[in-house]
Amino acid sequence: MSPDGRRRLFRRLVALFPPTLRRKSGPEMARMYEAMYDEARRERGRPGFGFWARVLWDAGRHAAAAWVAASRTGARGPDGRRGETMIRSIASDIRFASRQLTRHPLYAGMVVLLVAVGIAGNAAVFRIFNGMFLQPLPFAEAERLVDLDERADEWNLDFTGMAWADFQAWRENNRSFESMAVFTSFGRNLADEAGAERVSLVAATHDLDDVLRLQPLLGRFFGPAEDVDGGARVVMLTEAYWTDRFGGRADVLGSALTLNGEPYEIIGVLPPEAELLQAADMWTPLQGSGSGWYLQGLGRLADGIDAAVAQEDLTAIHKGMLQERPVNRITTPVVTPLRERFLGGNRLGAGLLLGAVGLLLLIACANIAGLVLARSFSRADELAVRQALGARRGRLVRQLLTESLLLGMAGGAVGLAVGLAGSNLLVDLLADANQFPLWVRFDLDAPFLAFVLVVTVGATALFGLIPALRTQPAPGAGAAGRSSTSRGRRRAMQSLVAAQVGLAAVLLVVGGLTVLDVRRLASVDPGFRVDGLLTFRYSLPSNRYPDDDSRFTYAATLLERLNALPDVEAATSANLMPLFDHQGWFFTVEDAPPRSQDEGNPVVLMRGVMPGYFEALGLELARGRTFDDFDGRDETRRVAIVNEEFVRSHMGGDADPLGRRIASGTDRPEDDSEWRTVVGVVRDARHYGVDTDMRPGVFLPQQELAFSYGQVAVRAAGGDPDAVVDAVRSAALDVDPEVPPYALTTMADRFDQTLFTRTASAWLFALFAGVALLLAVAGIYGVISYAVGQRRQEISIRMAMGAERVSVLRSVVVQGMTMVGLGLVGGLVVAVAAAGRMGGLLVDVSATEPTVYIVVAVTLLAVAAVANYVPARRAARMDPMGVLRGE
Amino acid sequence: MINSPIKPQWFHILLALAEGPLHGYGIQRSVLDQTDDAMRLWPAMLYRSLATLEEEGLIVSVEAPDEEPDDERRQYYALTTDGRLRLAAEGELLARWGAAARQAGAPGA
Repeated sequence: MSPDGRRRLFRRLVALFPPTLRRKSGPEMARMYEAMYDEARRERGRPGFGFWARVLWDAGRHAAAAWVAASRTGARGPDGRRGETMIRSIASDIRFASRQLTRHPLYAGMVVLLVAVGIAGNAAVFRIFNGMFLQPLPFAEAERLVDLDERADEWNLDFTGMAWADFQAWRENNRSFESMAVFTSFGRNLADEAGAERVSLVAATHDLDDVLRLQPLLGRFFGPAEDVDGGARVVMLTEAYWTDRFGGRADVLGSALTLNGEPYEIIGVLPPEAELLQAADMWTPLQGSGSGWYLQGLGRLADGIDAAVAQEDLTAIHKGMLQERPVNRITTPVVTPLRERFLGGNRLGAGLLLGAVGLLLLIACANIAGLVLARSFSRADELAVRQALGARRGRLVRQLLTESLLLGMAGGAVGLAVGLAGSNLLVDLLADANQFPLWVRFDLDAPFLAFVLVVTVGATALFGLIPALRTQPAPGAGAAGRSSTSRGRRRAMQSLVAAQVGLAAVLLVVGGLTVLDVRRLASVDPGFRVDGLLTFRYSLPSNRYPDDDSRFTYAATLLERLNALPDVEAATSANLMPLFDHQGWFFTVEDAPPRSQDEGNPVVLMRGVMPGYFEALGLELARGRTFDDFDGRDETRRVAIVNEEFVRSHMGGDADPLGRRIASGTDRPEDDSEWRTVVGVVRDARHYGVDTDMRPGVFLPQQELAFSYGQVAVRAAGGDPDAVVDAVRSAALDVDPEVPPYALTTMADRFDQTLFTRTASAWLFALFAGVALLLAVAGIYGVISYAVGQRRQEISIRMAMGAERVSVLRSVVVQGMTMVGLGLVGGLVVAVAAAGRMGGLLVDVSATEPTVYIVVAVTLLAVAAVANYVPARRAARMDPMGVLRGE
Repeated sequence: MINSPIKPQWFHILLALAEGPLHGYGIQRSVLDQTDDAMRLWPAMLYRSLATLEEEGLIVSVEAPDEEPDDERRQYYALTTDGRLRLAAEGELLARWGAAARQAGAPGA
């Protein structure tokens, strides 16, 4: 909120007070709130939920007390008059309402519970939605921050990452950015007397601090002089690392760290916001050079420029350099607002969840409206008497509304508490699952509180106002007039039944579809054995592992050690493992027709693997053989293994691609030894997760391209990967104590993580649908019971006239089920429309999957039938003569 | 002699004004000091208390003292004679209770 917005808010709060106090002390009070806000901000950072709750409590409580006091003493002045009687009568309404409600604790409890259920769901989901899409990002003027990237349709890539050469040209020539920067993250081994430790670094251009508007906590940022190829080796520590490792001592400035054997001077400490961009222990100058698209770009738009304009600007620059960079024909700049880039994909899901809790609240409201209606009918006598004694109708309506309002507020408070607890759980889960950028926070702020308040008041108005307005106790309407108006009342209550059933049907269909979808996804065969695998990474310092031989020897020795462990069934390594990362290369097939200019050249997932890779992971071979120890060792053994998708996309779906030759790159190699013979075809495995399509893939033996980093997979003999963690770690440190294994995690955890968002939202949908079903059933039961009670005379007369019990039963059930049926049909129609808008939220299930609709319809009909039958049977069992005599 | 104490926040406001007239913000600061930050008077609570105390005749609104710059036109408050007497009586009461409490807690009592 802007300072002006806050000032207005405080003024509005102060306007709640009675005129005398407001006139004398209002402005001072508002100023004091502002001063307290500023002070809290100075001392503890931006005040959050706690502060605003205190403010509202302080102002609300004392404004109410001041009005009551003013009404008691009789406010002075001509304009105090109206307020006085108004307040006095509202106070008496409240007293009266609370007396009424304490006399009917069951009714009051039910309403509070129902409101609480609705508000809890809304508060919890809105908190997540608010954090993702509404809360300002924790950087200065964050609305001007954009993500910079490149797109390449021909390569089948939405985001290629940025190339250094492109960035330089953009930065130099653009006219729409205040500043822009690129960065990338990587790890280094930090070695000292205490041993080796893996640290994470952000390598950034020197302008990143301008883009984010960061001020160093200590020391200085690196400047342009250090940010050149071959520039000085300097680092800035993040605040967390500085505190943890150096105890926050200022004298670290100027001292040196040894990273991968090279000394780096510590020149400063970063402010805490820096860690929100990317988790890291330190920042270092990018000292950009080289080719390849691997950089993350971040820009700050110039004032008044939007992302689309900036993108046009960059595109003109980008396409203007085709001469020196022909590849820019294929790539195009992409400028996306930061939030949109990282969270845009979740907008639909979060929006639908918000819609779902909205429906849930509507069901709760319909339910409560039924309760309130029933109660207002049974109070018709009381209301008639009070009206006969001279109470105006407006006053009676206000009284009913006051009751509703009290209950609504109580329910809102309980719901807020439950919703906060529930959303805390969600926030923790989200943090554990590492799903969002770190700058997404879920603070409790004023808009959150306002949302809960508005929704509570809105819901209260909905369930309180309609019945209150329908209450028209005509003079003389009492016991005698009851039957004449009962038809209209029944219709009102029955339409509530239809509404509840319809809304519940929508939620059940959406919940059913998402749950079915994740269950199908979770049971999709990923194409390799997920269970029992422990994975970790290593990275070799270049000064001690300068060439392919030394790197391959390290990998081979490591695997030998691991395979020798008693609890290890198999161990292997590669540049990447399934579900982790991507490395894209291009490949050319020797005897394939050349691709036309317009035809895309799909990016190929390239994996360099050690022998035993396919066996250890359980990847299935479709044809040919896997690598042996000699593959790739010299020019006579240039071989490759491809996946089925590669055969489809690059080899025209050849039934027998074995023996054909491929080469890396987009052009045919000049040297014949660059060609590699395909010796095997592997079945497609879901490398990117079961909800994402597979790309073409090529495997090459690590004998010929040994990487300086690797990912290792260890299959535990006992099937429990956690059991081998310690043994694996110490075996790796035995091979080289300065190369610590890091990022230890099981493949199963990683697999769950890829489905986390889908699973979590599916279960939330299911939870809301379940609650909706319960509410609807309770609603039906309540309304039918009430209706049966109302029809006791009529039913008794019919039975006394000789109607069969069965026919009484049938008439009650048929009437109830007609409403249920109408609601169900309407609900299913809406559900089809809603499900059709779920788009990418459903992968393996169609929006019109008949099973789900049938199950929902049958379930709803069945439970509704029970809810109808129980009160109907009670009606059929009553003693007609007893009822008639009792009248 | 009184035998039931006034509300704690009223007591502290009166105590704050004992040293001379103050405006609302000054009272808030002074009460924070008196109570080692334990009692923070939020604006609505503070100004409503001031209004009530004024109605009771224990304090009165006064002009800003000359030496204070009057740029924000803050309202100053001062103790009345009644207020001074009431504060003293309150102090007596608390002291009496305090003495009894201390005695109860003393060793050998």
